[in-house]
Amino acid sequence: MREMLSMIVVLTVLTAVSGGLLAAVKVKTEPRIEEQVLKFQKAPAIKAIFADATNDPIKERFNVKAEDTELQVFPSTLADGIKAVAFEAKGTGFGGPIGLMVGVNLDTDEIIAVRVTTHAETPGIGSRAKEDLSFVGQFAGMSMASNFGTKGQGGDIDAMSGATVTSVGVSQAAVAAQNLYKKLKPEIVKQMN
Amino acid sequence: MTNTKLIVSHAPFWHNGDSLFQQNLNFFIALLPAALFGIFHFGAPALGVLALATSSAMLWEVIMSVLSKKKMAIADMDSAIIGLLFGMMVPATMPWWVVITGTFIAVVLGKFVFGGTGANPFHPTLVGIAILTMSWPAFLDFDTAYVSYQFDFTALAPLAALKAQGTYALASFSNYDLLMGNEVGGIGSTFGLGIIIGGIYLILKGYARWEIVASFIAGVLITATLFFVLHPDTYAPPLFHLLSGYTLIGAFFLAVENSSSPVNRIPMLIYGFLGGLMIILVRNIGIYPDGTVLAILLINLVNPLIDTIRPKALGKGVPNA
Amino acid sequence: MAQSLVKEFTKGLWAEIPLFRLVLGLCPALAVTKTCENGIGMGMATTFVLLFSNILVSMLRNIIPSKVRIACYIVIIATFVTIVEFVMQAYTYELFLKLGIFIPLIVVNCVVLGRAEAFAGKNTVMLSAADGLGMGIGFTLALSSLGAVRELIGAGTLTVWGGTPLFTIGHGYIPFQFMVEAPGAFVGLGMMLCLMNLIGKK
Repeated sequence: MREMLSMIVVLTVLTAVSGGLLAAVKVKTEPRIEEQVLKFQKAPAIKAIFADATNDPIKERFNVKAEDTELQVFPSTLADGIKAVAFEAKGTGFGGPIGLMVGVNLDTDEIIAVRVTTHAETPGIGSRAKEDLSFVGQFAGMSMASNFGTKGQGGDIDAMSGATVTSVGVSQAAVAAQNLYKKLKPEIVKQMN
Repeated sequence: MTNTKLIVSHAPFWHNGDSLFQQNLNFFIALLPAALFGIFHFGAPALGVLALATSSAMLWEVIMSVLSKKKMAIADMDSAIIGLLFGMMVPATMPWWVVITGTFIAVVLGKFVFGGTGANPFHPTLVGIAILTMSWPAFLDFDTAYVSYQFDFTALAPLAALKAQGTYALASFSNYDLLMGNEVGGIGSTFGLGIIIGGIYLILKGYARWEIVASFIAGVLITATLFFVLHPDTYAPPLFHLLSGYTLIGAFFLAVENSSSPVNRIPMLIYGFLGGLMIILVRNIGIYPDGTVLAILLINLVNPLIDTIRPKALGKGVPNA
Repeated sequence: MAQSLVKEFTKGLWAEIPLFRLVLGLCPALAVTKTCENGIGMGMATTFVLLFSNILVSMLRNIIPSKVRIACYIVIIATFVTIVEFVMQAYTYELFLKLGIFIPLIVVNCVVLGRAEAFAGKNTVMLSAADGLGMGIGFTLALSSLGAVRELIGAGTLTVWGGTPLFTIGHGYIPFQFMVEAPGAFVGLGMMLCLMNLIGKK
């Protein structure tokens, strides 16, 4: 009985202390990590999406809020005067959350391009979603109202062979982006003007 | 004498006088027609590459024998054959340092690290070629290798042309040209007729097993025919596959290597057929123009598995003997 | 005491160097050593985890009930690995991107759990710290030397820190790409093991 009790106590205390410690470290490093992610993941993705931007979308970023959702938005004016925004949405892949940066043309509601940002997919398999542009390239030119499910789910997106879970994760992120956009578009337009 | 499993028959036994040297000498003789044709065809550089490949392979054998304190076995010519086969599979314009690196990989990584002659799970030459293909593909590209040559036939590697242009390219290669070596390719792997003659000599002498060769060729022909019948516009006819690239040298000389091929009849048939099948799959579906190297390495790999298919022993086994 | 401290520290550097003598921790060794820089980064992350998990395991060795010791060790190790992951994300993000999934996988690295179970669970805090530090530095040395060999042959460069090569072999050198591919890792490791055995035979 004594041994049983000590096992329970030791493990409980240990996990509690470890949890507390990790929470503290996370709180301490979080702003810095966000800064790094912005610099190394979001900025290159936005640059690739708005290749012909006339402004600096990263510097002009702002937050929009509607009801209970808040979103970081990167506005851009393209070379031909078109107003566009980019924002990130999340889906769940094989190794954890997948971030998808979606660039949308505000006038036509069409996707300009999408890029995968943060992910923890298997190198060489799921990570192709980020490296091989033929998969994310499918989204370019689609309307924000289309069905972003993979073909297996009755949608319009061809999954990557051998990386179904990742493909579904990306398509989930696109659907999440769709919902965010629907909800927040009036707010975004209001703030851009 | 309780272990009855090991008793074969009564002594005395007698040796038929054969040795590893005898076997390799016969391999050498069998390789000669194709190699001589290569020298005749591609000129002095081909002779240089063949000589360098053979001699450097033997040199690596000497160095490794000294380093690993093994008995010097250079006189049995095993490394010489590995080097010669290597030389026959590469273009005549290969730089000397690539040849030496290739034979180093073949002899040291392909043979010695596994324990020397007779212990190699793969054909050493193919290990060398495969690793070179991964690292320095430019030196194994037959199209660029012969740009300074003047030939009286199409100076395009048949399989690379097939991959790049589709069946459209086939018009410039006739089966007769492919058989007589009127194509660009490895020094000793273009002259189909010479390889066939040498290979048949080896089979008659008993150093190569006809089961492997025949089932290998059957695998190539049957698989290629299936593809060709279903989509004649997209896939090349079976004879083209048989006569181009490394198919013939693979069937007659590479797949039959002793320590990496099966010993029983049914496994030999499966082994060869699987090799032929894989070649066509790589060529028709895969990304590489020629799948022979990969196909033979793959069947080398499954060899221990298929060799477990063996006839049931006669008599009654002793449990837990 | 001081003598045995030195002994425990130095054994990890040569006599029991994790990768080449104990042949432990092969997964990160084969996967991340494409460049010398990756090897150093991975080695340093592992050293940090080894040092602190050894200290903590050793401190708690009389409290932890033996029946749940492995679970406790894993909790301790996982905590430090997660800390390393956060810190690397915050300060060396580019390196973190290259090492990626292999940082969280330090949790299941045999060297770390092996030292906790075989050494820190039975010895004093000072000795365990010396052992952890020695093993960690030995692991770093092994990874960086393997990475250096692979990078030099396979890419013709040598990168120690910061992403820019410290040294580049002349323009005439054509990289032997096989060495930076996955099978090259096995061949490279085999050659290093062979070299270690040749040197340490006497």
